[in-house]
Amino acid sequence: MPRWGMVIDLDKCVGCQACTVACKAENNVPHGSPEEQQERRDFFWNKMIAATSGRYPSVKTELIPMPCMHCDKAPCVTVCPAEATYRRADGIIVQDFRRCIGCKYCIVACPYGARNFNGKEQEEKEYSRHDLPPDRKSWGPWPFPTRTHGVVEKCTFCFHRIDQGLKEGKKIGTEVVPACVEACPSGARIFGDMDDPKSNVSRTLASRDSFQLREELSTHPKVYYLPK
Amino acid sequence: MKSEDAVSQKKPGGLKFDRRTFIKLSALTGAAIGAGQVLGPAITHSSDPVPPGAAAPLDEKWINTSCINCPARCAIKVRVTGGKAVKITGNPLSRVSEGKVCPRAYVGLQVLYDQGRINSPLKRTNAQKGKGVDPKWAPVSWEEALDEIVRRLQAIRQKEEPHKLLLFSGLNTRSSEDLIARFAEAYGTPNLVSGDALEAETLKAGNWMADGRYGDAAYDLDNTNYILAFGADILESSRPLARLLRKWGKMRREKPNRTKIVVINPRYSLTAAKADWWAPINPGTDAALAMALAHVIIRENLYDSAFVSRWTAGFDAYRKLALDEYSPEEVAKITGVDADDIRKMAREFAGTRPAIAIGGREAVDWTNGSYTAYAIACLNALVGSIDVPGGVIYQEGVKFSPLPGIAEDGIVKKGKSQPALDLRKTAKYPLAEVVTNQIPESLLKGEPYPVEMAIGFNSNFNMLAPGMEKWDEALGKIPFYVHIAPFVSEMAFAADLILPATTYLEEWAYDFSPPGSGFAELKLKQPVIPRRGKNRPIPEVIFEIAKKTGGVVANAFVGLGDNAEGFVKYRTASLLSWKEFVETGVWIGNDYEYRKYERLFATPSKKFEFYSGNMKALFAAKQLAAGDLSFLPHYAAPKFIGEASAFPLVLLPYQPLMVVENGSQNYPWAQEAFLPMCGVGWQVFAEMNTDTAKKLGLKNGGFVWVESAAGKIRAKVKFSEGIHPEVVAMATGQGHWSYGKWQTGIGVNPNEITGLDYDSLSGQSAFFNTRVKVYKA
Repeated sequence: MPRWGMVIDLDKCVGCQACTVACKAENNVPHGSPEEQQERRDFFWNKMIAATSGRYPSVKTELIPMPCMHCDKAPCVTVCPAEATYRRADGIIVQDFRRCIGCKYCIVACPYGARNFNGKEQEEKEYSRHDLPPDRKSWGPWPFPTRTHGVVEKCTFCFHRIDQGLKEGKKIGTEVVPACVEACPSGARIFGDMDDPKSNVSRTLASRDSFQLREELSTHPKVYYLPK
Repeated sequence: MKSEDAVSQKKPGGLKFDRRTFIKLSALTGAAIGAGQVLGPAITHSSDPVPPGAAAPLDEKWINTSCINCPARCAIKVRVTGGKAVKITGNPLSRVSEGKVCPRAYVGLQVLYDQGRINSPLKRTNAQKGKGVDPKWAPVSWEEALDEIVRRLQAIRQKEEPHKLLLFSGLNTRSSEDLIARFAEAYGTPNLVSGDALEAETLKAGNWMADGRYGDAAYDLDNTNYILAFGADILESSRPLARLLRKWGKMRREKPNRTKIVVINPRYSLTAAKADWWAPINPGTDAALAMALAHVIIRENLYDSAFVSRWTAGFDAYRKLALDEYSPEEVAKITGVDADDIRKMAREFAGTRPAIAIGGREAVDWTNGSYTAYAIACLNALVGSIDVPGGVIYQEGVKFSPLPGIAEDGIVKKGKSQPALDLRKTAKYPLAEVVTNQIPESLLKGEPYPVEMAIGFNSNFNMLAPGMEKWDEALGKIPFYVHIAPFVSEMAFAADLILPATTYLEEWAYDFSPPGSGFAELKLKQPVIPRRGKNRPIPEVIFEIAKKTGGVVANAFVGLGDNAEGFVKYRTASLLSWKEFVETGVWIGNDYEYRKYERLFATPSKKFEFYSGNMKALFAAKQLAAGDLSFLPHYAAPKFIGEASAFPLVLLPYQPLMVVENGSQNYPWAQEAFLPMCGVGWQVFAEMNTDTAKKLGLKNGGFVWVESAAGKIRAKVKFSEGIHPEVVAMATGQGHWSYGKWQTGIGVNPNEITGLDYDSLSGQSAFFNTRVKVYKA
């Protein structure tokens, strides 16, 4: 069983936020509004944060794109009273909207702010994808295209793409990647199997310095960053 | 396909269970009981493997087309299922962007399905015009609208005054541009005004002085090892953006030598944050820095003497000027860049070959911008980075099937012999191809003549131009104004008649990128879904108007394909088969050929000129008196608008990446990710140096007035360590006041308070020379 992970090269990242927008388009993540942003109710499955340090003119702003870290020891899974969030065998942390009771424990527990509470009934837009994931249509509307208010949402590493790709016998990490990886114009993101020493992610991590966010918490995130 | 509600779905077992039921149930059974206990272990997780079952095959199409949310015009492909466009991504066959696109392209779905689009021609019923005055639009039929336009066009021609028709061209496809230009020519008006003079004319003028080619430079980023970016926001507003984003990744980590990137800019831009070295510079002094770099490179003999001696002219005069006037110590006083830093920069630039110096907005959108651009171009010649791998390269054009000549009649000839309204090529702007921002002044004065009618194609100059209030006023003076666009932009608000145009995702067109890759690449646009509402593509409207106008105008459009699709076929027939073009969406020219010096330079000496023979000839032809300095790259202190004593700061209106340049900003995806460096969207800040702001007694996040001699605007102040102490930076793109739920009333537009000024050679508007003061609101 593979263990999916992502590597984000901050040296290549151009801070354009193509990942952010592509994720919204891929996963039907609702857009916000000025009011929602003011009240911090708008949400992103993948966002970019800016961390600035230093004094003029020796200033430094790090722009860090953040999907869900898909921790191997995920605090959100531990705290969920409804077993709505869980770790798949391939390491992807998933939120089952049908079980989620919207208690937000997981939001508090997540050290990365990767989880969002969806407080609004989702409008269907003309550009919303009504086809995802193709096979699940016959079985039930998980988790796309429509979600409802009162659940916690998060990045899924676009597992619908991975599952579909595996079924079609495609190579995950080259032929099939999450939407943010595909969208990145500078090629800053790599996706693949962390347990496969020959995968792109493993090779890259072996050849370069890398760090995880909040390593000290021992959540073992599967998103690695390569510094400049 | 209507999507079902995720929570009220019946479980396979027949138990109707939803979240509310669960909560009720939990309440009944006691809050302490965990969900597992309530539901039992039989519940499956919904992302578990799907039970086998027949899934209906999707009707799915990927259509190759191209984007035009900015002038980069990237090749894209659009996924269409169930008759709806649901996904945009890059076309991997494109070599300009290598299949990648910037986030603006993704916003295309929201452009297409924008609720604020116009769906029928609209006629103004309120004679009063102006900002905030309700035009009282009334829908009219296309026939009625076109008949009125044609009647007026014929009347102007009958009076033998075709020059009194004014055409505005905003961001259009190249095929629309070609047709608009042909219409102007066939009708007989010299007054076709594009927005070019709001953006890039100084760079073109600088290149023309140096190598005789009036156009943008292309850069061979695949092979360069060093970039010196003078005010160029490579990762935000430079073009072609998607290519630059892709190449940035390549330059950093996909080649043996990591390209070093240095950014010179008063603002710590996104580009500066991602670069290796940010050198804040006093606003408007980039030319001095460029000359100081030349000083060091020449003095220390670091220049490419082989190239300079064989392929350049005028080096001695340039050498003398640089050595005499621009020592690092002197220039440090002007630019604020430390003399040792100047020397270090010069040694790195000349020592790391190939290296490129790139000019951009913050450096050249000034009254002295042409000479700054010239000084930057000369740096490239100095280190031999001209038409070599990793240097400045020259963009190849696309060889279309040519358009036949136009049979002019007496009226056309008379109209075209009139001076242009924007005073291009006159003594005021001797080098200008277009002077966008001269138009409101000319209209208000009625000089050189009043206009009778104007047509705007996707233009929105009264948002984009400095001194935009003049535009509002001048547009109200036009006796009859027709606007063609998909949106009621601020400029459309002044129209007497609005014709709803299709967006780029519903029409046939061809397009090519601004210079970037060297080799030619042509892109197709084709409809991905049927047109929405009663919209029509611009080419179709032009064909129809021309046909109905009759005479030479109609004749000029005979045999060109009769409609948008036919026109694209006609023009591209010489390049590739139609079937192939529709399938691939791109046509790519030959690989780039370097070092073609024999046929490169269009200067009197047929060499790269450090002393501009072209300029000298132009001044002589226009009988302008000037000394030698006018023919050499040099620094002249920028002219500011407003006294430093009353207005101590300088306004810097920069363009963030998420400004969609089609006249609207009504796109939530673009809005919510608007200011990445501030980590917020939906707004605009007055970004100020922390020390300066504190000295003024301001509070971070509080409201302030930013006031210039032209007026004042209110914005939240944002303290920043990344701003020159004398600069206030504000993003452009917000402050829309016309239609559109997601744009109206958001933020302010810094152009409201910028003053009117120009680079006097090229006619390009100066954007950054307005002085302001900031105080608590």
